Amino acid sequence: MMDATLNDILMEILHGSLGTILNLAKVLIPLMIIIQLLMVYDVMEKIANRLEGIGKLMGMSKNAMLPLVVGFVMGVSYGAGTLLELNKTNPLSKRDMALLGTFMFLCHGIIETGLLFGVNGASVVTITLGRALIALAVTMVFARTPIIKNMDNVTPITNSPEKEEALKRLKAD
Amino acid sequence: MKKFLKAVKDGAVKGVRTGIFLLKIMIPIYVVVVFIKHSFLMEFLEKLFTPIMGIFKLQGDAAVPFIAGVFTDEYGAVAAMKGFDFTMAQITTLAMIVLTFHSIPVESAIAAKIGFPALKFALFRLISAVLIGILIGFLGGMFL
Repeated sequence: MMDATLNDILMEILHGSLGTILNLAKVLIPLMIIIQLLMVYDVMEKIANRLEGIGKLMGMSKNAMLPLVVGFVMGVSYGAGTLLELNKTNPLSKRDMALLGTFMFLCHGIIETGLLFGVNGASVVTITLGRALIALAVTMVFARTPIIKNMDNVTPITNSPEKEEALKRLKAD
Repeated sequence: MKKFLKAVKDGAVKGVRTGIFLLKIMIPIYVVVVFIKHSFLMEFLEKLFTPIMGIFKLQGDAAVPFIAGVFTDEYGAVAAMKGFDFTMAQITTLAMIVLTFHSIPVESAIAAKIGFPALKFALFRLISAVLIGILIGFLGGMFL
């Protein structure tokens, strides 16, 4: 049934597993160091504060930019965590949620995926810049469709004391 | 400086921990894929998926990392990918497809938890992945 001897297969598994361990170390150790630094120095908040313009292009309010940037740079689980915190104090409008979901589920965790697939032989420029541009374009188009345009977009108060409190708690975790 | 060094140390520790966790998933996937690859099952899978993968300019065996990615995550897809020989253009196309449509059970659960319609988003991602795959497969053949 097999086209190779068991010995060959076991050697291939041993070889491949060692390679996987090495590649994983090359991806995860730098990734987690970068994420830790981004969190300790509040880089995501600083970037999110500057992206109001791009947010507007994608039909999103300022409020949605922090979970968007966190999800885009660090990954879906981090973005979801930020969104959960934000929703406790400063809930996003329906329209923001739809657009944030569109972007975030199309393109997230660019550092992680860039490292992972870069180490494993993909074109890093394509998978990083390409995905970001595709997600940007799709979100921009969606923002201009009637379904999304007509969605409820009540803008909640930004920079409330509760929001500051939520951000502080997020940092403490 | 102290803050910086602590962050680097904490990050490295987290990286090693995550790595050990992921290896427990990746190594079994890799082992299964290597066995499938050398078994009669592979011939059947290739016949089944060659026409579908052809629209992305990929061979039939690219279906294996794609399926692994859908049900596990990007790491599972990479583990499965390692079992085969792909060119850079093929890996890039595969990466773009997998990165758009992956970890569907886990990410649908996350989506539902934060209030997104999970099924709608999964379907949206699948359609996007197919379109992106066709586009990158076409472009990849020219540039990579």
